[in-house]
Amino acid sequence: MEIANVKGEARTDHGRHANDRLRRRGMLPAVIYGHGEAPEGVALSRRDLEQALARLSHVIALECDGKATQYLIKDVQYDHLQKDPVHVDLMRVDPNERVHVKVTVELKGTPAGLKAGGELSQLITDLDVECRLLDIPSVIVVNVADLELNQAVRVRELQLPDGVKALADADATVAQVKLKRIVAEVAPSVPVEGAPAEPEVIGRVAKEETPGEKD
Amino acid sequence: MAGNMPKRVKWRKAQKGRIKGNATRGNTVAYGDFGLQSLEPGRVTSRHIEAGRVAATHFLQREGRIYIRIFPHKPITKKPLEVRMGTGKGEVDIWTAEVKPGTVMFEVGGGVSEELAKAALLRVAHKLPVKTRFVARRHGL
Repeated sequence: MEIANVKGEARTDHGRHANDRLRRRGMLPAVIYGHGEAPEGVALSRRDLEQALARLSHVIALECDGKATQYLIKDVQYDHLQKDPVHVDLMRVDPNERVHVKVTVELKGTPAGLKAGGELSQLITDLDVECRLLDIPSVIVVNVADLELNQAVRVRELQLPDGVKALADADATVAQVKLKRIVAEVAPSVPVEGAPAEPEVIGRVAKEETPGEKD
Repeated sequence: MAGNMPKRVKWRKAQKGRIKGNATRGNTVAYGDFGLQSLEPGRVTSRHIEAGRVAATHFLQREGRIYIRIFPHKPITKKPLEVRMGTGKGEVDIWTAEVKPGTVMFEVGGGVSEELAKAALLRVAHKLPVKTRFVARRHGL
């Protein structure tokens, strides 16, 4: 696992305006919590953090006041478009502590079943695992080259690194090759003849069926 | 009336309303690998959705899979031309999906490359009445 270095500084000002000022400087407000200690506010370099997230790092080494400490990235909040990070949650962890994280599942190879008209679908893209902080894999690579039509890779068949335990159901499907759904219809769908032009109104009785109604 | 609409509704006509705020749900790529996200609020009609679907299906041929994440739940009424005001609300003209900034409207998945997905979703974007951007699935922590 790669541990990304992220520059940071202590954060004393709190609140929306102080955080906006931080973001304008290219920093991100963050909070550090865990291990029963009081939460601590810090500001992180946004560039460093985005690089760490792009490399699928789960752990960062935060360089603050000349001292580097390792933290687990617990959560990242994004703006309304899910584009720019606006806040980060960091968790204090012991290097030997077992943690629960999501690890990206990457499929490798072209399944043999594709030639027989199959379609590969990945049902689990992020796998919940439990492992030591320093054992967190960046990515779990699954070889699907041998998958024939109607075959699947289950969680129990994954080859996980030593010390990594999958938390998902062992029978859950990670990826499968199934016969391709034929989507013949490209032309705009036209209303079916005889189908109602309006939706049915719930609770409204049709006029002719209304008991005792006079014409 | 062409296009998609609900099968059953509680009320035939709806009030106009306002589209306020940003999407807090349906704002991430959930089913496919890539998506088309709205950048502004707007009404996407059943015809827009259908046109987008046809454009993407035609472009992708038989490759990959298209997911439509919005549905036209809202009826929009219209009075006939050259009719005086009054005498009640007009009849339902179109069905629309109210879209907020951040809503992921279309998704493409099933092993399609990023370039192909981008080209397919660009064709969908041209059919839609809102500004959009191409987004990829984000991995969890």
